[in-house]
Amino acid sequence: MTADPRTAEPGRALLPTATARRTWTTLGAEFRRRPGLSAAATAVLVAAATGGLVAPWVLGRLVDDVIADAPVSRIAGRVAVIAGAAVLTGLLTAAGAALASRLGETVLARLRERVLDRALHLPSATLERAGTGDLLARVGDDVAVVTNVIAVSGPAFVGALLSVVLTVFGLVALDWRLGLAGLVAAPAYALALRWYLRRSAPYYARERVATGERTQAMAGALRGAATVRAYRTEDAHVAAIAERSGVARDLSLEIFNLHTRFGLRINRSEFLGLAAVLVAGFFLVRADLVTVGAATTAALYFHRLFNPIGLLLMESDSVLQAGASLARLVGVATLPDTAPSAPSAAGRRGPAALDVTVRRHRYDDDGPLVLADVELRLAPGERVALVGASGAGKSTLAGIAAGIIAPTDGSVRLGGVPLTERGEHAVRRDVALVSQEVHVFAGPLAEDLRLAAPDATDAELLDALDRVGATTWLRALPDGLATAVGEGGHRLTAAQAQQVALARLVLAAPAVAVLDEATAEAGSAGARDLDRAALAATEGRTTLIVAHRLSQAVAADRVHRLDHGRIVEQGTHSELLAADGRYGHLWRSWSVPV
Amino acid sequence: MSPLPPGSAVTARHVLRQALRRQRRPVLIGVTLLGLHQVTEALVPVAIGVIIDRAVVTGDPWALAYSVAGLAALFTVLAFAYRNGARQAFAAVEREAHLLRVELAERALDPRGHRSGLRDGELLSVAASDAELSAYVVRVAGFGVAAVSALTVAAVALLVIDVPLGLGVLIGVPVLVLALQRMAPLLSRRSASQQEALAETTALAVDLVSGLRVLRGIGAQHHAAGRYAAASRRALAVTLRAANTKGLHLGLTTAANGLFLAAVAGAAGWLALRGRLTIGELVTVVGLAQFIAEPVQTLGYCVQLFAMARASAARVARVLGAEPLTRPGAASRPDRTDGPRLVLDHVGHAALDGVCLRVDPGEIVGVLAYDPADADALVALLSGRVPADRRRGAVRVDGVPADDLDIDALRGAVLVEPHDVTLFEGTVAANLAAGRSTDEGRLRAAVRAAAADDVVDAHPGGLGHRLVERGANLSGGQRQRLGLARALHADPPVLVLHDPTTAVDAATEAQLADGLAGARGDAPRGTLLVTSSPALLRITDRVVVIADGRVTAEGTHEHLLATDARYREETLR
Repeated sequence: MTADPRTAEPGRALLPTATARRTWTTLGAEFRRRPGLSAAATAVLVAAATGGLVAPWVLGRLVDDVIADAPVSRIAGRVAVIAGAAVLTGLLTAAGAALASRLGETVLARLRERVLDRALHLPSATLERAGTGDLLARVGDDVAVVTNVIAVSGPAFVGALLSVVLTVFGLVALDWRLGLAGLVAAPAYALALRWYLRRSAPYYARERVATGERTQAMAGALRGAATVRAYRTEDAHVAAIAERSGVARDLSLEIFNLHTRFGLRINRSEFLGLAAVLVAGFFLVRADLVTVGAATTAALYFHRLFNPIGLLLMESDSVLQAGASLARLVGVATLPDTAPSAPSAAGRRGPAALDVTVRRHRYDDDGPLVLADVELRLAPGERVALVGASGAGKSTLAGIAAGIIAPTDGSVRLGGVPLTERGEHAVRRDVALVSQEVHVFAGPLAEDLRLAAPDATDAELLDALDRVGATTWLRALPDGLATAVGEGGHRLTAAQAQQVALARLVLAAPAVAVLDEATAEAGSAGARDLDRAALAATEGRTTLIVAHRLSQAVAADRVHRLDHGRIVEQGTHSELLAADGRYGHLWRSWSVPV
Repeated sequence: MSPLPPGSAVTARHVLRQALRRQRRPVLIGVTLLGLHQVTEALVPVAIGVIIDRAVVTGDPWALAYSVAGLAALFTVLAFAYRNGARQAFAAVEREAHLLRVELAERALDPRGHRSGLRDGELLSVAASDAELSAYVVRVAGFGVAAVSALTVAAVALLVIDVPLGLGVLIGVPVLVLALQRMAPLLSRRSASQQEALAETTALAVDLVSGLRVLRGIGAQHHAAGRYAAASRRALAVTLRAANTKGLHLGLTTAANGLFLAAVAGAAGWLALRGRLTIGELVTVVGLAQFIAEPVQTLGYCVQLFAMARASAARVARVLGAEPLTRPGAASRPDRTDGPRLVLDHVGHAALDGVCLRVDPGEIVGVLAYDPADADALVALLSGRVPADRRRGAVRVDGVPADDLDIDALRGAVLVEPHDVTLFEGTVAANLAAGRSTDEGRLRAAVRAAAADDVVDAHPGGLGHRLVERGANLSGGQRQRLGLARALHADPPVLVLHDPTTAVDAATEAQLADGLAGARGDAPRGTLLVTSSPALLRITDRVVVIADGRVTAEGTHEHLLATDARYREETLR
């Protein structure tokens, strides 16, 4: 294989990002799907924030009572009101938080499920061009960012927002002139926020890059610790980690300095507003337009605003960040739904003929010709092997045969029907591809296998494993089928992982199997076992096998040799040997000691 | 260097103390200024009361002017104290986290290995997040002291106004906050399980998408999506339970604060009616009663933060204090020896039992282990990552027991290129040079010998082409050949290769075998090839066969092929 075109150039943004409007519309639609909950959450949150205004207002009246030398019973009445409001507000706050989380978290859960569903069903063409990098970032980082903001800052943010809005209402309701005085602070706050957001966004982008690079340096060195030690390059790796960690640290410090300068501007706005309210109160009291109590309430109201406003401003960029992530999620979630409406249990049963015609194939319009004039016919149940040197186009041809790659000019027919007419997901159930990419899914081994056949019984799973020769090591697993494997679990060897892949193939039971270098990474000692496993797994199926080891070619009904994108030899193993071409030469140099 | 005690004596306490000691200066300045900031915050409600009293009630314009000027001064001190104090404290956290991170990396990459018992992923998380969280002890110090200062000022102000009322407030608030804190363990338990559930769903999503091509290969996307949806729903249930608890806590806090405020307002109002308090003092008392809940809560938060920092510091200490896996000696290698370069004398490890083996100068020795586990054990042993208590017999390098050799002398003599080749982010040239100074000619020669010219020439950048982390933008065979080129370029006295061509096609493998023979075939180099590939075994001088952990045959590849049926079967392709 030449350089893998799928993973080249990371970071090409080919997945859509929703516009702000689209994001809001999508979220709005989700909220409208739950009208009762949405209305209840809103009402209770507003009521709770209103309840918070009672105490400062009553305190103002209390001040007036004291000035007016009112009877003690009046004071007791005021105290009762504050206490009653406190209990009620407490109840409303608890209910509001629970309702709001229920609403927000449910909408978010639905969104992330949709994102993953669309991501998993991404059309092959898009996936091959976009690679998995961006997709991983979306289902991983973006989901985590949004989830965290909603779970951690979400309730506080909504609470603060409501409390600010209602306090401003309260201030205006108390006396419109006092309200006006308080609003003096608004432009100051707005300017501070604008000043900050202009500067912070690029910083955060840089910080993310720097932290990512730091993690990458650490992960690379730690995962490759054996190699680092073997080559005695510890110092260089530690130095690289120190350098990147230093860059990330300095950037964090710069960002924090920006934060504190923002804080300074917020303090200035607080002072302006508070001073304005107090000065206005002074003149209004002197002109007998408001009571001392009202002026006091106004000052207390404004002082109450410090914390929620500070929270809103300081959280603004994490909210903006979550907004950006949300737009990327909605972008994926609103991709057209290509998934089959119901998982059809069975695809085509029994072997079928596969005809592959590739007149020309290139990856890019002006790229090199990868395949040319290739005609490949597989009779039902026939096993055909592809051989050829690295870069001959074997994997590309396998991808085309499996319907993963669309040929630039050509067609693939299964049982006489073009794959393009059958639709991608139907094709996937008929034609299975076991590629070089070996992935063991994290979790119990049985769960991994059931991805191929969700309804398979344990006996069927064991059967499939037995067929691919995995019984010996399966017995050695601590918990048998329930043993956690993959990332963070029991480490399977490359050969065992390949056997799992073949067992999945057995369970998926497709009409056609395409095996691309399936035994490539096995390690020579176990390679023959894998050859046998591959034979067993594809028994009775139409099979196209990219033969890395010539032994795989021997077992095939026919062999095609590819060279520079063209089929240059074909026939049975013995025919090709008899023809004494390049294949025969290869075989002899490989199997017979010199 | 870090003033930590050696070895396993390192505890969480050491890590935390070291943080405070190393960041002494910024911590002191930060604590002082943050304390000052909290004091000024406490004075804001006091100032409001004073201004109402002196200016609003009296209607005196001069009093108003003084008041506003005083308020401006207060805010100036408040703002600058916060800015500079917070900067110092934050910088101390970041600097300490950086230092810890580098120390952790040094320890994790210690040439002698480490017995921390942590996997790579866990080590990474210790270096990435626990380093930072341990450093939070600095923040705990800053916030804690600041909160105490604020409480002190508030207490003094209240007591000056009215002693019984002040005492009531000063006792009532902490009792209230402490009572509410009783929910803290439940809260943190719930949010921990929430975080865990969310992390699990994220990990599941990443795992499924990482294996997307595999899923697609067998048409299993739909089932995978279903599995994620189920996990997402479970996470949702846990999240909602956590949210309910949080909401309950928030509601209780709101109600309790309100009830307390009602009590204080009632008492202060009654005192004011009696003439024992002025209007302004009434406002101050109410304002302070509301304010001091904040520093008390901060103290509670500090307790939680400290618990977190200590837990993280314990994990950091586990790595920093981990014993080395091996105990190398101090001997150096002899300048020149005529004897064998590598000798295994009745060596045992895992299933290996009494294995004897020698590699002479100029020799390429093949090892064919019928059980792959034996090959793995042999390679692990030669990599020097098997501690003395888990092996038997002796390994000698140039006549010196490997255990006596200084770690650098040993690693300078024997290079093991693992089967699972790891490449690093960076240029092809940097990967091949692996820290050694070199020139393009030597790199090219190694690339040619490893039959990797096509890998280098596939990109216009050639040797300057950048690989992504772990060389993920290369195929398995390309990685293996670059790994081999790296090993050949290093040109060690003894080279051990483990299945170096499993992902390489037959034609390229033959070419590579010739290159390998040319690069390693002459004295004084010694080479051990652990493989079952006939193309590679053909270039060896001798092959040692290991079955059931023991050497069962030895001879040339041709001889063994001709005389040993099992050997023929095992190497037949």
